[in-house]
Amino acid sequence: MTTPPQASETFSAYDLLAYADKLRPQLGENFRDTIVNSLYSEAEAIARRAVHQKGDRRYDLDQRIDRIVTSPIFGLPIMLLLLAAVFWLTIVAANVPSQLLATALFWVEAQAAALFDGLGIPWWITGFIWHGVFRGLAWVVSVMLPPMAIFFPAFTILEDLGYLPRVAFNLDFLFKKAGAHGKQALTMAMGFGCNAAGVIATRVIDSPRERLIAILTNNFVPCNGRFPTLIMLATVFVAAAFPPAFASFAAAGAVLVVVLIGIFFTLVVSWALSRTVLKGQASAFTLELPPYRVPNIPRILYTSLIDRTLFVLLRALGTAAPAGAIIWLLANINVDGVSLANHVASFLNPFGLLLGLDGVILLAYIIAIPANEIVVPTMLMVYMGTGMMTDVGSYDSLRTLLVDGNGWTMLTAINLMLFSLLHNPCGTTILTIRKETNSWKWAGFSVVITLGLAFLVTFLTASLARLLGWG
Amino acid sequence: MENYALWLILALLLLAAVFLPRWGLRSLVRRRLAAQQRERVEDALKTALDQQWENRPLSLRGLADYLHLSEQAAQRLVESMQAQGLLSLRGSDLALTPEGERTALQVMRAHRLLERYLAYEARMPLEKIHREAHRMEHTLTPAQVNEMEAAMGFPSRDPHGDPIPSLSGQLPAGTSTLLTEWKANLPARIIHLEDEPPLAYAQILAEGLHLGQVVRILEATPERYLLSDGENEYRLAPAVAANISVEPLEETILTGEGILPLNELDHDQKAEIVSLDEACQGFTRRRFLDLGLTPGTIIFPELLNSFGDPRAYRVRGTLIALRKEQAAQIWVRPTTEASA
Amino acid sequence: MPTLKFNPDNCANCPANAQLAQMGVKIEAFDRVVALAGNPNTGKSTVFNALTGLNQHTGNWPGKTVTRAEGGFVFNHVSYKLVDLPGTYSLLSASQDEEVARNFILFGQPDCTIVVTDATALERNLNLALQVMEITDQVVVAVNLMDEARRKGMEVDTRSLSRDLGVPAIPIVARTGEGMQTLLMTMEQVISGAIKTRPRRVQGTPEFQRAVDELSPQIQRLLPQVANPRWLAIRLLDGDSRVQEALLSGELIELAGAQRRADTQFSQKIALGGRQ
Ligand SMILES: Nc1nc2c(ncn2[C@@H]2O[C@H](COP(=O)(O)OP(=O)(O)O)[C@@H](O)[C@H]2O)c(=O)[nH]1
Ligand SMILES: [Mg+2]
Repeated sequence: MTTPPQASETFSAYDLLAYADKLRPQLGENFRDTIVNSLYSEAEAIARRAVHQKGDRRYDLDQRIDRIVTSPIFGLPIMLLLLAAVFWLTIVAANVPSQLLATALFWVEAQAAALFDGLGIPWWITGFIWHGVFRGLAWVVSVMLPPMAIFFPAFTILEDLGYLPRVAFNLDFLFKKAGAHGKQALTMAMGFGCNAAGVIATRVIDSPRERLIAILTNNFVPCNGRFPTLIMLATVFVAAAFPPAFASFAAAGAVLVVVLIGIFFTLVVSWALSRTVLKGQASAFTLELPPYRVPNIPRILYTSLIDRTLFVLLRALGTAAPAGAIIWLLANINVDGVSLANHVASFLNPFGLLLGLDGVILLAYIIAIPANEIVVPTMLMVYMGTGMMTDVGSYDSLRTLLVDGNGWTMLTAINLMLFSLLHNPCGTTILTIRKETNSWKWAGFSVVITLGLAFLVTFLTASLARLLGWG
Repeated sequence: MENYALWLILALLLLAAVFLPRWGLRSLVRRRLAAQQRERVEDALKTALDQQWENRPLSLRGLADYLHLSEQAAQRLVESMQAQGLLSLRGSDLALTPEGERTALQVMRAHRLLERYLAYEARMPLEKIHREAHRMEHTLTPAQVNEMEAAMGFPSRDPHGDPIPSLSGQLPAGTSTLLTEWKANLPARIIHLEDEPPLAYAQILAEGLHLGQVVRILEATPERYLLSDGENEYRLAPAVAANISVEPLEETILTGEGILPLNELDHDQKAEIVSLDEACQGFTRRRFLDLGLTPGTIIFPELLNSFGDPRAYRVRGTLIALRKEQAAQIWVRPTTEASA
Repeated sequence: MPTLKFNPDNCANCPANAQLAQMGVKIEAFDRVVALAGNPNTGKSTVFNALTGLNQHTGNWPGKTVTRAEGGFVFNHVSYKLVDLPGTYSLLSASQDEEVARNFILFGQPDCTIVVTDATALERNLNLALQVMEITDQVVVAVNLMDEARRKGMEVDTRSLSRDLGVPAIPIVARTGEGMQTLLMTMEQVISGAIKTRPRRVQGTPEFQRAVDELSPQIQRLLPQVANPRWLAIRLLDGDSRVQEALLSGELIELAGAQRRADTQFSQKIALGGRQ
């Protein structure tokens, strides 16, 4: 029997702790078990008195849906189909608004520039403001806004339904093989919206090791900033090879394939990491599959449009304006009679060609480090920057510009898709990784893996294509 | 003139580099030496304690070998430890003084707590924890060790099944038998995996054997041991099998009719949770408890993944997916009632 | 300022002036602090959004809210700061989220903690509610997702729940706002002391009870003003290092001495420190 400490004036916090230490052995080793057991049995008793089940409808519907969406035969196909449907919807519904926006905004640009000229304002001011900054903004708005405004709500509906945990459940066997956590699938789903958000979402993974794996590989999910690139390429190059009736399906299929390649690399890199730098035991995997709930559509529209879409768009605009300015300057400052942009691009060109890309694409990626959203706009602006003003509001003229004007081939398109999928995280994501891991080392490492893989894979496909003679 | 100033500055910098209180070379070297000395003393204490428990004498020569020291260095070490009242000489053999034994127990305590921490909380692979714990045990203050113990809920054994001494140096009692002395076909629970020599330990781990596993000896010949846990078979050389200790199963598991691990429960068969396995400790155990996987709870598998793993179980009104390895740590007894 | 329309059927005895005004992020000056605790996925963020008019993301998967969000609202001329805590199954500190939630309930000293529970999985949810009730008396249990419960043919008797728990239990549907007015009025009364709560405390095994009974008086002796000696005793017996630290550093003593004022510097300090 333990005696309580003697009453005295000098009873301190230390004495209290010591007393607790003395009492503890009486409680047995698994004291925590005892506490939780009594809590739950109490909760059980109270709940039993308060809840009455009428009829037997309890899990019926949920259970039936679950049996289908996780079934051995339909589980994975349903998942792919849903994903493809979201992409298809995005591509089809974004097409027309995108072109309308582009036409409208470029009309504004032309009118405003003409007005400035008429007022006798020096050409370089007009050029800088309207052909530089404004054009950058116009591109981002027309290329990004419509796909986002469709993709976000569609995806949020799936999220609100409660479907995402089922995806994690279906895919867990792959992540298990890769030595990663099943909830990584949830964080990847968040990565579709924004990789920085995906990195933050990895907090649902308790084990630091598995969480790091999820953080380092999140970038292999193409975020919203990269979708426009993929959609554009899929439409201009892949869909064009199909009859018009199937074009949109082909484009959606191509995007889906890119996403699957991304998942493939996620698993491969996770596997490699969990066997080398991040070696360790699998942690406890517990995943709650919440009941399905009817999505709250008005709220989803509100949050995904006003909150997410606007937020991402503003961020993109914030980087697009300076990027537009830089591109305009690069395109209009001449050294030895050639614009700076061309100097840099031709300097990068040999390296770009080695990867099946070209100098302009690499230049665009360098300028777009702060935000991936501006890759396509940057590229197009440099291609057109030399003053030749083409109307690229439609995909046909885009094709003309890229293929006829700048020598793109199918290989360029495929490799650009791969590069866009694999290359380094954007600036915001890198900073988020630094914040979440509290280390520059891991942030740097994430850049090294992704860039290394991007170079390697594009180099291999380019070499292979050349060997086979269709480079 | 300028030359002099330059030299003077250089000299000052050099002095600072050597003598700066915290970052200077001198204090760095001194700290390094102190740490090294502490490491040697503590390793010597552990070695002496090991030998004492095995009832083997320890000579100066033997100590030097264990610690990979020259004999002179070992001699100096022993002298300084004698001066501190940790070691005494009995004839030519070294023996721990009571103070020495107390300190040695504390070193062992730090080591085993660290191993447990690394294995269950930091989730480091088992074959790595010994070396890592050995490296870290010399850097912890007693307060840090106590804190670690409290944070883990005062465990009594390390991941190899070795007892962890308490703050006052008490060892929890326990009976264990070497696997090589266990009767064939009688189920037993693995409670200790010896981590020395590392090669044998690596082999045990590579086979997939782990603490808490219930196994039976199917075959014991001078060439090999064949074990089974009801699902897989394991082959071990007798020398390796001697590194495994087991204990009889508790009454409940033995007598409890039809108790099985949750992962073997038939689809849609209702069952009652009997207990969480002893091998399930640390974070995993706490997580299970918090999810309501407490003894007496009704549970049944409701959803099967396309590849049979994981399964989702209905427990306390919620669907929770568990991988096979986790489900195997939960013992259940099927109830007669079917869930559907 | 936008005001919410509530279904009057559920608010038969509302005083006419009971008015909610959403204040969004304008929370510089507030009179009271209210915390939202609960299991993951029970609708905490939905309640938060309904009260503050903010757009904390909601999503049907556990772990959606990983950071703490704060917002404000005014009810009956009193301004409140509302804190949306990450969802946890328990407060026994198994993971970081739980640490955040528990530390706020304990050290942030909210004037009232609303435990948002899922009516369709009460048993699991009450486990957490009981743990919150060990820490503080100022608790209201919101039984959310009543619509889902009805859909599944479940009847939840909140009176029996209130009686058993010793704190008010209010049925709500956070999505439509049903029952929110009652929830707010109850919260107001719990804060003002008009409703005296008597939280149910878990008994446990005899050894457990004996150890707690022996330790609690000692805690009261050291910290006479502390509101929850029992809970502290359990945490100390469980060897909770965060609580041990708080005891040694004097943080607990300081807390125990402090008046229950919402805008104590301390709660603000914690609030700022915990924000990501
Ligand atoms: N049917 C229904 N769904 C709700 C209600 N409250 C919340 N939800 C849904 O439940 C899910 C989880 O809600 P959320 O607020 O994110 O939960 P939290 O994790 O506790 O913050 C979301 O899909 C909400 O739309 C309700 O009262 N009725
Ligand atoms: Mg939430």
